[in-house]
Amino acid sequence: MAMVRRSEFLPWLPPMGRKTLFALALAFICFAFAFPVLWLILTSLRPESGVYYVHRGTEFTLGNFAEVLREERIVEAFVNSALIATLATVFSLLVTVSSGYMLSRFTGPASRLWFGTIYVFRCVPYISWVLPLYFVTQSWGIYDTYTGLLLPHVAVHICFFSWLMKGFFDGIDPSMEYAAMIDGCTRWGAFIRVAVPSALPAISALAVLCWLFTWNEFLFALILTGNRVPMITVVMAQFVTEMGLRWNLMAATAVMALVPAFLIALFGQKYVIRGLRI
Amino acid sequence: MAAISLSKLNKHYGSLFHAVKDVDLEIADKEFVALVGPSGCGKSTTLRMIAGLEDITSGDIRIGGNVVNHLPPRDRDVAMVFQNYALYQHMSVYDNLAFGLRNKKTAEAEIKVAIDRAAGMLGLHELLQRKPKQLSGGQQQRVALGRCIVRNPQVFLFDEPLSNLDAKLRAQMRIEIKRLHAEIPTTSVFVTHDQVEAMTLGDRVVIMRDGRVQQTGTPLQVYGKPANKFVAGFIGAPAMNFIDVTVRSETGATSVEGEGLRLTVGASQAPALAAHNGRRVILGVRPEHLVLGDGAPGLGFDARVEVVEQLGSEILLETRVGGASVTAARVPAETVIARDDQVRLSAQAGRLHFFDPETELPISG
Repeated sequence: MAMVRRSEFLPWLPPMGRKTLFALALAFICFAFAFPVLWLILTSLRPESGVYYVHRGTEFTLGNFAEVLREERIVEAFVNSALIATLATVFSLLVTVSSGYMLSRFTGPASRLWFGTIYVFRCVPYISWVLPLYFVTQSWGIYDTYTGLLLPHVAVHICFFSWLMKGFFDGIDPSMEYAAMIDGCTRWGAFIRVAVPSALPAISALAVLCWLFTWNEFLFALILTGNRVPMITVVMAQFVTEMGLRWNLMAATAVMALVPAFLIALFGQKYVIRGLRI
Repeated sequence: MAAISLSKLNKHYGSLFHAVKDVDLEIADKEFVALVGPSGCGKSTTLRMIAGLEDITSGDIRIGGNVVNHLPPRDRDVAMVFQNYALYQHMSVYDNLAFGLRNKKTAEAEIKVAIDRAAGMLGLHELLQRKPKQLSGGQQQRVALGRCIVRNPQVFLFDEPLSNLDAKLRAQMRIEIKRLHAEIPTTSVFVTHDQVEAMTLGDRVVIMRDGRVQQTGTPLQVYGKPANKFVAGFIGAPAMNFIDVTVRSETGATSVEGEGLRLTVGASQAPALAAHNGRRVILGVRPEHLVLGDGAPGLGFDARVEVVEQLGSEILLETRVGGASVTAARVPAETVIARDDQVRLSAQAGRLHFFDPETELPISG
């Protein structure tokens, strides 16, 4: 396969020019991603009267954050979102890890059936599941409850991440488990004591992705919850009222919602990168 | 310590693939047996069935006289060394060695003694606190050997343990395994596709092809009296030369004729071959049994040199005799010889093999 050497990229430019162009392209991409976040932070610090001329104003305030934190519903939404994200991560990982292992190591009819089920689920657009889930949660009496939101999240994670987990286990040599079985472990023991520890980077990566996915999820939260279980992504959207848009409060809530996700991504990224490289 | 007995062992994968076919094999207590054959011949599957990692379709496996067909691997009291070491990557070398004993609830003090002993034998003391990733291939394989030794099992199983090592290290590890078996005589089954490993390590060698055992015997037996043409070609390096010849049996003398050669058959082989008078047979002669120049009368033939491989200690000659390609080894390294030279080669008396072209079984021998 022919490799494109560096010097073949825009060969008519001198090396310095290529470097400058590369730096400019990088700066543009960084700016394109960072600009909305910066604008959001700026808006969250502006008084309500100043949100439409953020770029011109010099008046800044932390009042928006104070006002948002005084709203019980928002605080409750933060707690709910964190709780649901954490529980969904824990429960889905419990199933996903063993499900991915089964898909990777076993080729029997049960494994094929499970693989087919996941495949079908993944082929159907995500949004198509929302309405049926609404009716199911209604009929089971779990609409607008933790369980009613948790179960669909766990189901989605299991289906989406079992494949990823299968890929991770495919990359781990099964001889280790055979050695463990000869060394005195049952098949289950070999999985718990040898395969799972070997897959820890991958499991950490999935944990980060699961948590962020649930924390940021809007559609399930919107359709499957009402007033009893407010979620942060839904509450944030409720600043759009008949009386107008309260951009400053929405931005302050969004910035606060960014912080946990940012911290998890910041500390978890090394696991994500390491895990995805297995 | 225990003998292993395989009787009528079969393994089917689905209805299409019959991987192991009616394998019968008796391995004596403390014997070192090498299973050898080309890729896909069923040798690793056989080993994995002994270990309990593969279910058997039919037949019996006995270890120490007990049928173990349905026992899980952990209850068979075997230890196995894998091709890719299979060390527990998240544990230190010490914990890798201790893993099996801890599963048996052995006291830590006893574990330490067993590990000290194994580490001493294999030179692992410096490595005990390291993780497998920090070790070279050779060191990892020594740890894998150590993991087997500390458990003091009835049987050692080796699944191509040297295949991932470079040639020099492979030779060293071969010696190490041989030394270990002398120090700790334990029934061992060693699977390899490398016939040199099989011949140098095994008390007996079992040659397999297409799921069937072709021959079982000591290295000398399988080399000197191969059970069929496949074994003759598989054992020995460089491989045996095969030449199509026709038998000519006249009063008092039996000879074989091929394109560009006529060899007189010795008295010991003549009677069996005489029965094939006028028929085509396959002549087999090992490269190391061909000498340059005139040897015994009636065993010489002319050949044209095609390739000269100088090995330093000797020369390997690739020659053409009529339509056949014939390799000759053990030509003195100092011999001045070049491509297209005409040379005289002679087979050593009593070193000719003959095979039936239909059945590939030896005609005499």
